[in-house]
Amino acid sequence: MAKLKVIAACGSGMGSSQIIKMKLEKAFKKLNIDAEIYHTNVGDAKSNANNYDVVFCSESLVGTFGDVKATVIGLKNLLSEKEMAEKIQEKIIDKK
Amino acid sequence: MEFLLDIWGFFQNNILTKPQFFIGFIVLIGYLLLGKPIHECIAGFIKATVGYMILGVASGGLVGNFRPVLVGLKDRFELSAAVIDPYFGQAAAQMSVENVGRSFSMMMLVLLLAFTMNILLVLFRKYTKIRTLFITGHVMVQQSSTALWLVLFCFPELQDPQVVVMLGILLGTYWAVGSNLTVEPVAKLSEGGGFATGHQQMFGIWITSKIAGKIGDPKKSLETLKLPGFLAMFNENVVATGVLMFFFFGAIITVLGPDLMHSIDKGFAPNQNFGFYILEKSLYFAVYLTILQLGIRMFVSELTNSFQGISEKILPGSMPAVDCAAVYGFGHPNAVTIGFLFGAFGQLLAILGLIVFNSPILIISGFVPLFFDNATFAVYANRLGGIRAATIIPFFSGIIQVLGGAFAAHYFLTGVYGGWHGSSDWDYLWPAIGVIMNNLHVVGVAIVVIGLLAIPQIIYRMNKDTYFLIAEDFDAYKELMAKKQGVSVDEVVID
Repeated sequence: MAKLKVIAACGSGMGSSQIIKMKLEKAFKKLNIDAEIYHTNVGDAKSNANNYDVVFCSESLVGTFGDVKATVIGLKNLLSEKEMAEKIQEKIIDKK
Repeated sequence: MEFLLDIWGFFQNNILTKPQFFIGFIVLIGYLLLGKPIHECIAGFIKATVGYMILGVASGGLVGNFRPVLVGLKDRFELSAAVIDPYFGQAAAQMSVENVGRSFSMMMLVLLLAFTMNILLVLFRKYTKIRTLFITGHVMVQQSSTALWLVLFCFPELQDPQVVVMLGILLGTYWAVGSNLTVEPVAKLSEGGGFATGHQQMFGIWITSKIAGKIGDPKKSLETLKLPGFLAMFNENVVATGVLMFFFFGAIITVLGPDLMHSIDKGFAPNQNFGFYILEKSLYFAVYLTILQLGIRMFVSELTNSFQGISEKILPGSMPAVDCAAVYGFGHPNAVTIGFLFGAFGQLLAILGLIVFNSPILIISGFVPLFFDNATFAVYANRLGGIRAATIIPFFSGIIQVLGGAFAAHYFLTGVYGGWHGSSDWDYLWPAIGVIMNNLHVVGVAIVVIGLLAIPQIIYRMNKDTYFLIAEDFDAYKELMAKKQGVSVDEVVID
C-alpha cells in the first residue's frame, strides 16, 4: 500500500488537531500502516482535502466538509486510540 | 575571571536576549538529550527558531496595523482600545515587555519552569491532590506571555531570575489546579474519555458544571433547534476573523472619518476609496493572525509532542489536560454554535455599555474567546441545564469577557498596544491575581498560590472515595455511584 496521506483538522488548527495527530501516529503504527499526517484548521483542510486520502476531525465538524474526495472520519473522543483503530479498520482497511 | 565574563557576555548578547535562538537552542539541546538523529535535531532547531521569528513579524504586524486606529481614537475621543483575544494579547504583552527593556526570552523559561512545577505537583499527588498535567502548548505560550507582563508590571524592579522563579511557581500552580478542576466535568461529559481540559476557561468550566443544573432543565435540550446555515461560515478562522474585524473596525474607522485617517495613516492613498481602505485594513488582521498561528504551530508542535511523551512516560496515572475543543464531539453541534452566538450577544451588549457609560477604553471582540470559551460553556451547560443554561451562561460569559478585558487592558496598560488576553479565566481570575500582586507584592503572590493549592484539597475532602477513581477508572466509578444510588449500572444518574 502506498503511503497514506492524512489530514488532522480542528477549528483553529492549533490544539485539538495536534492531539489527533499524535494519537493517530500511534494508531497507524500499531496497524502497520505507513501514514503521513499533517495538522491544520478546517478551512485549510477543506480546500486541501482533494490532495489527501483521509481527513480526521471531531464529529461536530464533519458537516463542514460536504462532499470532498477524501474519506472524512469524525471522531467522538479525539484522544481514543481505540476509536481511531476501529474507524481506520472500518473506513480504510475494509474498503480496500 | 575576565575570560568567564566574556563568555557570559557573548551568551547574554547573542542567545539569552534573542528569544528566537534561545528557544531554538532549548529544542536542540532537548533533542540531543533524547538521542534523536542529528538531522532531526537541526530540523527542530530551525523550525523552532523560524517559528519564533515568524511570531515576531506577525506580532509587529498586528500592533502596527492597529496603531493608526488607536491614534485616531486618542485624537478624537481621548479613548484607547483593545482587541480581547489571546493572540492580540500575546502580541501586546510582548511589546509591553520589550518596551520596558526586558528580554522576552523569559517567557520561555517561565513556561518550562511552570511545566516543571505542574509535574512536581502531579508527582506528589498523594499530598497535593493534583491529577492533571497541562500540555496545550500554544496556550502555554500565550499565558506565559501575558503573565510575564503582569509580573513585570507589578514588580518592575525585580531581577530576571526572581521573576522567572516566582512566575513559574504561580503559573504552574494555576495550570495544575485549573486543569484539575475540569476532571469531573470532562469525565462525566465524555463518559470517561481519559483526559481533562488545559486551556483558557478552566475555572469557567467548573463554575458552569456547578450552576447549569440550577439554571435549566436538561430535558429541554437544544438538539431539536434548527439554526440558519450561514452560521457555518464561522467555523473557518480566517473568515470569522475577517467578518468580525470588518464589522468592528469598519464601525470605528467610519466614525473617525476619511479626513482624520488620511492625516494619520500614510498607508491610506489619496486616490483609494474609503470603503476599500476599511476592507483592506480589516482583512490585514486576518493576515497577521494567520501568520502568527503559523509561527506558533511551527514551534509549539515540537513542544506539545515532547510534553505528551513526558506525561505518558514519567507520570502514569495522571491525566493529560488538552485543548477545550476536545470535548466538542461529545456535545451536540448546535451547542457550539449557540454558545458562540449568545456569547456574541453578551459581548455586544457590554461593548455598547462601555460606550454609553463613557469608558476610557473601547473593547473589540476577538474570535478566539468569543468562540472557544462560550462554545465550551454551552456544551457543558446543555448537558446539565438544557437550552436555558446553554444560552444564559454564554451570554453572561460574554459580558464578563468584555468588562473584565476592558478593566485589565486599562489597568495593566496593554491597551497601549491594542490588546488583552481576553479568554475567560484571564478576564476575572488573572486580573484579580494581578491586582492582588500589585497591592500586596510578594505576600500577594504567596496568598494566591496557597489559595489555589487549597482548592483541590477542599474538593478531595468532599469526595474522598471517588476523587481519584473518576480519573483512573471511570467504569469502576460508575459502579460505585450505582451502588450508592441503589440502581443498576445502566440506570445510574451521573450529573
